[in-house]
Amino acid sequence: MRILRLLTVATGLALAATTALSQTNVPGVPRNETIILENPEGTIKNPGWFNIWTINAGGQYTGLHQLALDTLWYIDPERGLDGVWQNSLAAEKPIYNADFTEMTVKLRPGIYWSDGVEFTADDLIYTVETQIKNPGMRWSALLALNVESVSSPEPWTVRFKLKKPNSRFHSLFTVRFNAIWIMPKHVFEKAADPQRFDFNPPISLGAYKIHSFDPDGKWYIWQKRDDWQRTTLGRYGEPGPKYAAYIDPGPPDKRVIAQLNHNLDVVHDIAPEGMFTLTKQSPSLKTWFPNFPFAHPDPTLPSVIFNMQNPAFQNRDVRWALALLIDVKAVSMASYRGAATLSPIGIPPTGTHPDDYHIPLQEWLASYEIDTGKSKIKPYDPTIGNQIADMLRPTMKEQIPTDPAEIRKAFGYGWWKPNPQAATELLEKAGYTKRGNAWYTPDGKPFSIKLMVEGDSRPILTRAGTMIVQQWRQFGIDAKTEVAQGTTMLDRRIAGDFETLISWSVETYGGHPDLSFFLDSWHSQFVAAPGKTQSPRNWQRWSNPELDKIIEEVRRISFDDKRTVELGRDYAKLIVREMPIIPLMAYNVFTAMDETYWVGYPTAENPYANPVPNWGNSRSMMVKLKPKQP
Amino acid sequence: MRAYLAYLSKRLVQFAVVVFVGINITYLVTHMTPINPVEQSISAATTYGATSPEAIEMMRQSLRQLYGLEGTPWEQYVAFWKRVLVGDFGPSLSAFPTPVSQLILRALPWTVGLLLVSTLLTWILGNLLGGLAGYYRNSRILKAFGVLSMGIHPIPYYVVAFVLLIIFGFLWPVLPISGGATMASDRSNTFAFALDVVVHSILPVLSLMAVGIGGWFMGMRALVSNIVTEDYVVYAELAGVKRGKILRSYVMRNALGPQVTGLALQLGAIFNGAIITEQVFGYPGVGSLLISAVHAGDYSLVLGITTVSIVAVSATVLLIDLLYPLIDPRVEAR
Repeated sequence: MRILRLLTVATGLALAATTALSQTNVPGVPRNETIILENPEGTIKNPGWFNIWTINAGGQYTGLHQLALDTLWYIDPERGLDGVWQNSLAAEKPIYNADFTEMTVKLRPGIYWSDGVEFTADDLIYTVETQIKNPGMRWSALLALNVESVSSPEPWTVRFKLKKPNSRFHSLFTVRFNAIWIMPKHVFEKAADPQRFDFNPPISLGAYKIHSFDPDGKWYIWQKRDDWQRTTLGRYGEPGPKYAAYIDPGPPDKRVIAQLNHNLDVVHDIAPEGMFTLTKQSPSLKTWFPNFPFAHPDPTLPSVIFNMQNPAFQNRDVRWALALLIDVKAVSMASYRGAATLSPIGIPPTGTHPDDYHIPLQEWLASYEIDTGKSKIKPYDPTIGNQIADMLRPTMKEQIPTDPAEIRKAFGYGWWKPNPQAATELLEKAGYTKRGNAWYTPDGKPFSIKLMVEGDSRPILTRAGTMIVQQWRQFGIDAKTEVAQGTTMLDRRIAGDFETLISWSVETYGGHPDLSFFLDSWHSQFVAAPGKTQSPRNWQRWSNPELDKIIEEVRRISFDDKRTVELGRDYAKLIVREMPIIPLMAYNVFTAMDETYWVGYPTAENPYANPVPNWGNSRSMMVKLKPKQP
Repeated sequence: MRAYLAYLSKRLVQFAVVVFVGINITYLVTHMTPINPVEQSISAATTYGATSPEAIEMMRQSLRQLYGLEGTPWEQYVAFWKRVLVGDFGPSLSAFPTPVSQLILRALPWTVGLLLVSTLLTWILGNLLGGLAGYYRNSRILKAFGVLSMGIHPIPYYVVAFVLLIIFGFLWPVLPISGGATMASDRSNTFAFALDVVVHSILPVLSLMAVGIGGWFMGMRALVSNIVTEDYVVYAELAGVKRGKILRSYVMRNALGPQVTGLALQLGAIFNGAIITEQVFGYPGVGSLLISAVHAGDYSLVLGITTVSIVAVSATVLLIDLLYPLIDPRVEAR
């Protein structure tokens, strides 16, 4: 019995002691000078590896590519600090010759590495040549395919001679999410093998340098450089936080707890339910949209992707019939609990895209007609966003915007209205028949569809897929979801081992109308034969001569040519007509920002940057953040 | 002695066969998985960034070469065994070129520390209280503890872990909820760092103990309940031997045999890691490493971790087998 009493006392003492210990601050890193951000990579298994030019040897979003590295240009997915395009290490935009076989770069002088060595043309040339010489490095293949030679004809000027015309060669050095980062020649040239060199401690070209990192890979702390003016971010002013910690906060519930305890300033992403909890419980919460749907729409477009090499989906009428069976309001509720920004066209409704594409195409969409064989219908419904807002208003009350322009921004510019009658007619036109409650293919077999989803790896899109399958089943199609957890899905997607899947094959700059970032890879020259491995991003394996013509024309004009928007709209119309994918919505990222220590986060009202903290261009945040209590 | 040596050699052969078969099964399973490490690496390296299909094809070839995935399956299998026999698991495919052994050695101390402490504490407390409950059958405190531990025992582990997380991390935030130590703590100050590690391990240890203690408690209570009715215990009581001595020397010691076997097996299994615990509490151990290796299709790392685990569990079983005939005269060395 004495043992029991001893145990009770010991437990009490231990808890009392830990109460004090759990509140300990990080030594030497004052909390009010530190911004703590989530690194969605989680725990880094190889924490002391900073050589980002090798393939996945260490962490990337540990602050390394956001705060320590730099490259020639940035494109902001939103509006940018002083415009979408940012000349970073380059002093001006890329200069091409007439046939796009040469690109000249004028470099910005006066930029220094954190060890005091000046950045020069030699660093850029070394970055290119080293990766070409070492085929296993991260950007080796892209550079080897494109670059004939690279030289510096005069100080602060670098000239690339290309192996073949490439009007978008500069995109390799333009950060959308990341890009080819510049290597410090004076450090790497001393390493015996650049592929086996850990680059630890790293020196930086960005405004922050490494302060410390967890040998077990849970956190990285970066410290503002004393000479931050000598970095490319310096021209926008002094970064606010003295320290930036990128941490692995654990599963979603813990991220919510950590933010409610003000121990995590920026949550990268959580489930909609987690965000709703924070909106109710955290008075210091800041979100992209001040009201519903709160999340930041990424320039990525989750869609139903058809395997176009599967005979079942080679008839456009069948694909359209399947689209018209989707009640997107139910899909939005099931997936994002209504917090989805919809898109009927093959371009995500984010950044500058609504102005370039969604708004100008409204009239065309409204008048777009489908001939079902028995009737002509206009499938577009521009009021879907309003309908979702009305559905949510009773529960979310004043959090749902009322201004029609705000509703369109938040919920999208419309989608296709469900039309089972038109779907019936389209299927009948394609030779399908309905017997009893079940549909049969033209050759008399039951019409079955498997929709591949990622399961727990991507629960929101899995819920969307499950709802779509349910809707197809209600119509009499033998539809089933097929779960392929994250990594398995990836392998099956490249192998074309699916009938349909929920994923995305459209990714754009967001802040720039040029679509070549993903569109170039959709050219039929890159479509793999059935059974062979498909390279990104044309997972639908779609070949179309009209699309090829658009892509070839995009290749012939420069990045900023006004024709890019026209060609982009031609692409969008083609996707509507052909429906090789059924675009659903932007990939909404529920980034939650806490204003206990810092204010000035980017929002839809002040969209100077993408707030999602693993994007390279999230560095822009640092110069806008100010301490809450100076 | 001769009989014991024969027994020893038989058990050693058995150990070698178990290890060989176990590693081969793991090799087979990992190599049959549909996850391709090259594609995982390419995906992680090119996601969201500018790329081209031609470049991806070139990357595929370079990576297959770099990762040593070329050659026939037989050549790869032979190369694998040649490495394993000298204790080299090769480079990790998801953290290339860092050796697998380096990654395991970094994570192992955390897992071993956490699970060793929680396993031993759970075993000691569970058996101690179970023994007391079996002997002092009328104690209300012990009865209440029995009800509590049996009530918690069947609750899924992750539920218990999350409840603890919410209680001590949010409602009454007195304990750290993530990691093995405080961010940027000074590791050169050994005492302060050790204390910090202990504080960070309280919730994971508590969660493991909460669900684990019931089993030991019930097992020991049942064993003791049987032993107290044995003639020699009754005789000792009648002879006026003190109750404490009877409990210690007559009851507990005789009941501990099967519990020690169970403990040894659990200790061997600690090299597997506690996957859910490490995930929930963000603890940097082998379990988390294993999960990330599986997701990345890094079969070098999966094989490294499972080989360590197979050898550890088999070695513990071997040790028990070898020690039992020496400890317990009722077990014959045959």
